[in-house]
Amino acid sequence: MKLVAHSFINASGLYVNGTRQIDLTGEENFLKKAYSELNIDYSKFHKMDNLSKLAFLATELMNEVVSFPAEGEGMQLIFANQSSSKQTDMRFIDSYANQGSPSPSLFVYTLPNIVTGELCIRHKWYGENTFFIQPAFQSAQFIEQAELAFSKGNTQCLCAWVDAKWQGNEECFLFLIDHSEGLLKPTELLEIYKSYTHE
Amino acid sequence: MSNLREELKAQIIEQLNLEDLTPSDIVNDGPLFGDEGLGLDSIDALEFIVLLDTHYGIKVPDPNAAREIFHSVESLASYIEKTKA
Amino acid sequence: MSIYITGYGVISSIGNNVDELFTSLKAKKTGIRQGEKAFTTRYKVGEIAFSDAELHDHFQLKTEGSRTALLGMIAAKEAFVGHELRSDIRTGLISGTSVGGMDVSEREYANYLNNTTHNLQAYGHHSSGTSSAQIAQELGVTDFVNTISTACSSAANAIMMGARMIQKGWLDRVIVGGTDSLTSFTISGFRSLMIFDEEWCRPFDETRKGLNLGEGAGFIVLESAKSMEKTGKQPIGRLSGWSNASDAYHQTASSPDGEGAILSMQQALDVAQLSPESIDYVNAHGTATPNNDLSESKAFLHIFKGKVPPFSSTKAFTGHTLAASGGIEAVISLLSIQHGMLFPNLNHTQVIAETGLQPVTEVISNVKVNHVLSNSFGFGGNNSTIIISAV
Repeated sequence: MKLVAHSFINASGLYVNGTRQIDLTGEENFLKKAYSELNIDYSKFHKMDNLSKLAFLATELMNEVVSFPAEGEGMQLIFANQSSSKQTDMRFIDSYANQGSPSPSLFVYTLPNIVTGELCIRHKWYGENTFFIQPAFQSAQFIEQAELAFSKGNTQCLCAWVDAKWQGNEECFLFLIDHSEGLLKPTELLEIYKSYTHE
Repeated sequence: MSNLREELKAQIIEQLNLEDLTPSDIVNDGPLFGDEGLGLDSIDALEFIVLLDTHYGIKVPDPNAAREIFHSVESLASYIEKTKA
Repeated sequence: MSIYITGYGVISSIGNNVDELFTSLKAKKTGIRQGEKAFTTRYKVGEIAFSDAELHDHFQLKTEGSRTALLGMIAAKEAFVGHELRSDIRTGLISGTSVGGMDVSEREYANYLNNTTHNLQAYGHHSSGTSSAQIAQELGVTDFVNTISTACSSAANAIMMGARMIQKGWLDRVIVGGTDSLTSFTISGFRSLMIFDEEWCRPFDETRKGLNLGEGAGFIVLESAKSMEKTGKQPIGRLSGWSNASDAYHQTASSPDGEGAILSMQQALDVAQLSPESIDYVNAHGTATPNNDLSESKAFLHIFKGKVPPFSSTKAFTGHTLAASGGIEAVISLLSIQHGMLFPNLNHTQVIAETGLQPVTEVISNVKVNHVLSNSFGFGGNNSTIIISAV
């Protein structure tokens, strides 16, 4: 399998294949700023929670350098993070515990796989998608899951580590793998992730 | 009169968690629902029910029947004015 | 390569084990009652009567855990009865959950605010992954442990993932399913969506208003033929088909024509290499929300070309147990095959006018059931189907 492209977003900017495309440092609402910089017209974006916004923006950015298969044919989504939908969970709890009325528009985002659902809605993808909860970014697990996906006839996997722990600690590392010749090593993937996060 | 409309816009932004928007992004008689408007959907209709109840003491029993009321800021405001009159 | 099922276990409001579940199904006895906890009293729910401490004692559990984890341990242990861990059989656990240990966090946080206790360690239970780790610990499973959180399709996806890992030769045997306890969080959430029925839920009925929630866990053991040669276990069924597809429509609502449901059922039939006519019984997702049941009915009409096999939703027995539902319903599907029985869709009086589909409303015995198709559709448009077949 081969790494086709990768993108990354956090409060410092939007990156594609290792290069910063848009500088977001110092932005109070970096997600909103990124959206306007990318010149997208998709009003649903404003309703999304931060987790979905992160994955949405990283995917839009990647779409500028690669084109995804129509209806996501042969493409599987493999997403993971550590904190599930925690940031929105907290806000939803606040709505019923302190504001007196549970908020439906928050509740719909209190599941991590709504992220992959939003991407499917945006791009009209009908393929398989899943969301794992893991203690940390595990490159080997992504590669294992991609191998499983390819063994059942898929040709591409759109993978992401997308986490929004709290305001100011948000990131999405999105990468596209395809089944063509090549040996993608977990260490290689981990190095790329680390180069973005400066760990 | 227009105060109610401005007030509604601020309440909509808060209730629907549309933090990216400002009241000036919302047009009085522009559609709120669907991709042509603010991209709101059935879930947001439920938020309007909560909004009308908490801020104006108006109970809307059936979300499906309320689609016309929720069409725009203008229709919401007229409904509130009519009901409170 | 065949994937065999060599164990099953379940706990829900209609019984503490597979036998009790079977007895309730045959007796048409629902587990849904007016809630008894502070956060459930307004609604009818499928609540398990035991407190956490009672669960721990009654089922002689060794491991501490959230209610979600305890329920999971009970069902997974029952599924694993008669099995033993050994070094030459790689055994995994894949568990689906949507709330994880949120029940503990809710209780502890309330205590903290009331200044009664301040136990930071309790929040260690919160993460979804922790509940799987606790279940694995109770069973002693260490080769592979994983957690899937895709809302109400979580258990079906765990089952699917387990099958694939066996096919790929990465595991020989795997305990798969899901678990969820009732929490204030989920009750508030479904309340906000206004999809509760304050009466008993009526799946596939014209007058259906919404769902009743429930809690529980359901697990099955998947095993390769090679592993069974070593363990000498006899299969109770075969997992013949599985699929997951995206509905690409809305965060929580199903598409009007059930596009994702059609895709997932068709692809599961393809994996099983079965024609739609060979399905003897469908255990529907059937949550009893106006939206799901209409959309799923339309998908049935499409897939089965108008000739829909006997189908029912068993959620009027258990309530909608969210991430656990696919596991519990896999157990019900196995019972259907083993005993040649179809289980009823309770509280049904009037077919949905638009589709005219009549579910099974009585217990039907002495039928040959070779293939059962079971649907689990989750928020996020995450639609899954599994097919369980007779050996």
